[in-house]
Amino acid sequence: MDEEAIMYIAFTMVVLLIGISLLQYFGRGLIEVLCFFIIVAGVLLILILNFADFILMSVVAGLFNITFQPAQNYKITKDQNAIVKNVNGLFYATGYVTANLFAYTFKIETESADEDEKMISAPENWERAIMNIDFPLKYHVLSMGLDVQKVRDEYEGKRSYQEFQMSRALQSPTVNDMTLTEIQRKINVIQRKIDRISQGEKPIATAMYMETTAIGVSEKAALDTLNRQISGLQISMSSMDVDLTRIVGREMQVLFGFNFALPTTFEEASSYFDQQN
Amino acid sequence: MNPKILILIGFMALSLAMMGIAVILPVGFAFSIIRVVLLILAVIFDVLAFASRYYTYLMLPFLKQHSRNIVISDQPPYWISTTGDCIVRKEGDIYTATAYINIPLYVSSSEMTDEEKLRFANQVSRLVGLSRDPVRFSSELYLMNKDDYLQKLKDNISEMEDAEAKLIDKKAPENELEHVKGKLSMWRKMLDTMSNNISFELGTFATVSSKGVKEFEAITIVQQKAKELMNGIATTLGIPPNIVTGNDILKYVEPEYLIPYTTITEQISRNIQHEVS
Repeated sequence: MDEEAIMYIAFTMVVLLIGISLLQYFGRGLIEVLCFFIIVAGVLLILILNFADFILMSVVAGLFNITFQPAQNYKITKDQNAIVKNVNGLFYATGYVTANLFAYTFKIETESADEDEKMISAPENWERAIMNIDFPLKYHVLSMGLDVQKVRDEYEGKRSYQEFQMSRALQSPTVNDMTLTEIQRKINVIQRKIDRISQGEKPIATAMYMETTAIGVSEKAALDTLNRQISGLQISMSSMDVDLTRIVGREMQVLFGFNFALPTTFEEASSYFDQQN
Repeated sequence: MNPKILILIGFMALSLAMMGIAVILPVGFAFSIIRVVLLILAVIFDVLAFASRYYTYLMLPFLKQHSRNIVISDQPPYWISTTGDCIVRKEGDIYTATAYINIPLYVSSSEMTDEEKLRFANQVSRLVGLSRDPVRFSSELYLMNKDDYLQKLKDNISEMEDAEAKLIDKKAPENELEHVKGKLSMWRKMLDTMSNNISFELGTFATVSSKGVKEFEAITIVQQKAKELMNGIATTLGIPPNIVTGNDILKYVEPEYLIPYTTITEQISRNIQHEVS
């Protein structure tokens, strides 16, 4: 959660807290209980909006049949999961899917012996996946180089914190092996990241996603084909070991905008991606 | 002040005002119901205050338009720069220029040894970490554009049909008529074969953007960035990348260039004919 999110949550929660403190003025008994639940509902809605606004917004848009026109000739459907373009009566529906390839490699503790084998099989797996696809597809890797020293300092800070946790756990009379193993595992993961940077690997931040377009003589036909294509991607990409999640709502609109203008700084790019992988 | 902050403060003030009114209402059952209604409104305004973090761009058009189809923008999302080597988008007072770099990769893992595959995978990993600025690397699988060729075939068929009609009218000798009929049959068969099969092409490209308060400023910076990126790509992969210019950029931006119009309409009409017969 970034500073902006914390600020928004803090301000809006203060208003609801004021509401709770004024509960006694709204009425007694049943009315008071009802008012309390209304405020709790408000708190829940704010939390849902913060952590999964894409779900809430697509439900609201679907419920009230709301569509958006982000630019001339383009339309975001009411389910907020596709962008449709009408070209001379033919409808082009575009959908987006997350396809993060690298996340898992940074979560392992030690360099596995078969890492080279994975790299060797990567081009083959990619070709196999592409050969199974018979519809238009774009696979995007948005990458941003990070400041090596800053990232290293950050990891060293995290390692020091875990080492402090370890020494505290060792001094505790109620320490168990599971806690120690877990802390040691975290230290190993951080150490591995530091080692990789020391070996000359550049730290980068990436966002990977796929974009597929379907065509139809009507909007519904295009959207049906698009849904079929996205299901087909799950099968075709199985050899790539990627986790595919359909992108909906605001983040889909952001990715649509990336076709015309990319973010120019890491801060700008990271502000767009905080929820759907 | 930033309109986003103004909207946040506005909704929060409305929420507090509702609560204030509810508190100063006289005691009584009827007023209790009004208080509950005011509290519900206060909570809704507070939730809207939080939602304004992400959805300011939707709220303002929604409030202005009172329609289920919310027009966020009715302008084309970009235009091709006068220099022809990038596209430009304007948001507020800021111009964003985006350049597309074609990466001509013509290699296949089937022709590589294990060492070559490993080297290639490492080259791709290095490529992704080339720049500090956000860069998007993409692989695009798109339909081969047969529009011009199909149009030529259609023109030939019309020409031959015309010639056949003229020969029948002037009661030409049988051998001349047979000759034209033969040609007509040949062109029709070719059109049939060409439009029955869909062929795909796989392209690789990189995208980079830059911002400026003047259009030429954004364009100049993006040209510079693109040159630096091209040098990096050439060094890493040992191939000569090139900036995509003119209408060729549209292949990477617009969905109808991903699925060419005539190619696909021919395919659709064949499918319909096939389903009907």
